[in-house]
Amino acid sequence: MDDLIVKTVVRIIIPFVQLFGIYIILHGHVSPGGGFAGGTLIGTSFILYTLVFGIGPAKKKFSHRMSEFAESGGIILYLAIGVVGMVVAGSFLTNAEAGFPLGEAGSLLSGGMIPLLMIGIGIKVASTMVTLFHTLIEEETS
Amino acid sequence: MTMIEQLPVINLLALLAMALLVPLLRGRSFKTTLILGLCVLLGVLLSSILILYHVHTEGAFYYHFGGHSPVFGIELLINEFSALFTMLIIALVTLVYVYSTGDATEGIGENEYGRYYILLFILLFSMFGIIYTNDLFNTYVFMEILSITTCSIISIKRKKENYTSAFRYVMLNEIGSLSYLFGVALLYMITGYTNIELVHGAIQQSWPLYSANVVTAVAFMVVGIGFKAAIFPFHIWLPDAHAAAPNSSSAILSAIVVKVYLLILVKVIYSVYGVTIMTALNMPLIIGLIAAVGMVMGSVFAIAQKDIKRMLGYSSVAQIGYIVMGISLMSVAGLSAAFFHIVSHGLMKAALFLAAGIIIYDRKIRRVNLFDGLGFQFPVSMFVFGIAALGMIGIPITTGFIAKFNLAFATLDAGRGIFIVIIVISGLLNALYYMPVLISAFLRDNPEKQRHITFEKAPRTMLVPVVVLGILILALGIYPDLIWGLLESAVLSLQ
Amino acid sequence: MSFFQSLLDHINYLGAVALFVIGLFTVVTHGNLIKRIMGINIMGTGIFLFFVAIGNVTGGLPPIIDPAEEGGTFINPLPSVLILTGIVVVVSITVYSLSLVVRIYETYGTTDQDEIAKMIREENDND
Repeated sequence: MDDLIVKTVVRIIIPFVQLFGIYIILHGHVSPGGGFAGGTLIGTSFILYTLVFGIGPAKKKFSHRMSEFAESGGIILYLAIGVVGMVVAGSFLTNAEAGFPLGEAGSLLSGGMIPLLMIGIGIKVASTMVTLFHTLIEEETS
Repeated sequence: MTMIEQLPVINLLALLAMALLVPLLRGRSFKTTLILGLCVLLGVLLSSILILYHVHTEGAFYYHFGGHSPVFGIELLINEFSALFTMLIIALVTLVYVYSTGDATEGIGENEYGRYYILLFILLFSMFGIIYTNDLFNTYVFMEILSITTCSIISIKRKKENYTSAFRYVMLNEIGSLSYLFGVALLYMITGYTNIELVHGAIQQSWPLYSANVVTAVAFMVVGIGFKAAIFPFHIWLPDAHAAAPNSSSAILSAIVVKVYLLILVKVIYSVYGVTIMTALNMPLIIGLIAAVGMVMGSVFAIAQKDIKRMLGYSSVAQIGYIVMGISLMSVAGLSAAFFHIVSHGLMKAALFLAAGIIIYDRKIRRVNLFDGLGFQFPVSMFVFGIAALGMIGIPITTGFIAKFNLAFATLDAGRGIFIVIIVISGLLNALYYMPVLISAFLRDNPEKQRHITFEKAPRTMLVPVVVLGILILALGIYPDLIWGLLESAVLSLQ
Repeated sequence: MSFFQSLLDHINYLGAVALFVIGLFTVVTHGNLIKRIMGINIMGTGIFLFFVAIGNVTGGLPPIIDPAEEGGTFINPLPSVLILTGIVVVVSITVYSLSLVVRIYETYGTTDQDEIAKMIREENDND
């Protein structure tokens, strides 16, 4: 897309979208949203970049290596936290009994392991959305 | 919790971890991935046998995720039913895995070998999840994972007809899953739980008050599962899908995946609703009629097929009719017969697909009328194919005969003797399309006019599983008590 | 009058069932493959609306803990959490079907079910 207005506006908006997405991910245990919604927002910001600037620059910003790392990293983080719960307290994904600190309800640093899980999920969902979009777009042009 | 009670979750984690490891091993030779996969499968098989032994000696146990109570949390129920069927599934998949190391790469591109195995391990993970879980919504999530991975396996070969069959498969499966989810929503509305045991307790009280809700929920869930398990009027996707898949995955799809959906049907009918409500709704008669029609019409359609894999697909539809008839009898004998047929049909259909796969791998022919004289050039495969085909027809000393025999007795016990006539008719129809293949393979001349037996040129990893399956079919036919006791205790653990 | 009153009381459930039926009709009858995928999404949305409507408690507050206030009835948060997972599942199925439609379009040049069936029949006749 060669439109100057669109490119400039998108360049300004994308950081705000990503910041909002990160806010929703981190506040998953306090307000509605969580990993899925926040991850989708961050993924959408990358898709917006691809749509406006083309697939070439977008692949430089979000390469195949990074998507492999993000996808495996997200799941491995989730499984690792679950296994910690299993080893320490006896069931997969235990929260308070496994020693994760539960702060007071409603503040940001509370909820035990839930913010960590949300981060893992958010990274994975964002990476999945971007990878799938890039794969579909590539097939069309090749 | 002792170590053995952690084993179910360790099984699930091991399968998922193997699926994650395959892309990371892409740098090394493909053999490392195959051997590591085989080790993981054997490990899971060993732990499933240990779980089965533990459940038999000490009784069923629950596993609560996160330690939460089953009112809001997810719980796994490990009783004889889940332990037995997970063990059988992993044993059969290990045999097919060994076979697939020779053949799965046929028709798939060079850098896509790994993808097939990633999908296979996630498929196993979801099947284990469906059988272990004790929560209705969790079953839905695992069911969807299973359907995405089977669709992906069907469309992994880049041929034209694969795409349309995979698309039809996705659409029909999705209608089925969403109907099932609607049934779960209706149940949640009247009981307030999604856990199977809590729903069972609450339904007995809500049934007089909200009977319209329960009837609608039963209808949606049975129809939804019927779409996915290829019960007769909803079976349209099955022949195309199983014919288009790679050979070893046709075996897994037809022998195992469809059975897992039937196990969900068993869980829903027996553990969620219970026999009293189902009999009050006349479901045994309705499901029995649908099963009877399926048994006959599946075979009728199979007679007209020219492609051998489509023929085997329609034959699966007929055999699923047998199993559903056993489920519909709502008695211990009927359900045991249905479980035995699940096991024996799994073995026989896997043997048929794998043996046909060896011939397709070597000769690239798939039309039934080109099978002349192949018995002399592929003696081992056609011999096992013959044993499995005789088992499908119901000839004694194969397990198919024991299954049909027990099913006939169970229908007599439940007072529906008319269905025996349909079982016999269906057996004769089975003969009508299996015997021509066997006759033309062994008694006609092949194009090279060869009359002496030469050994087939297939790799050993493909021949050994086929032979093992043939031996198992005969062994279960002669000594069915090897499994019968375990199956009956599985039935009793569901009540 | 009381019929309309009960209709208005249960408007959420009626809307959910209407969406389910509209989605089902679209999947079964429409010829265009992409519209079928949209039909699946509409069916899914109907069911999720049904689930969330079950969790509604008349006069309840949103289930978010505010450290300043205490007490009050909250609406049931459990269905909303279940639906979050359900939405992700339906999205992944949609993505998979869309990639299949891309392949079908490359192979056959059209996304209309009837034309594709005609092409397949011509191929089978030529076989």
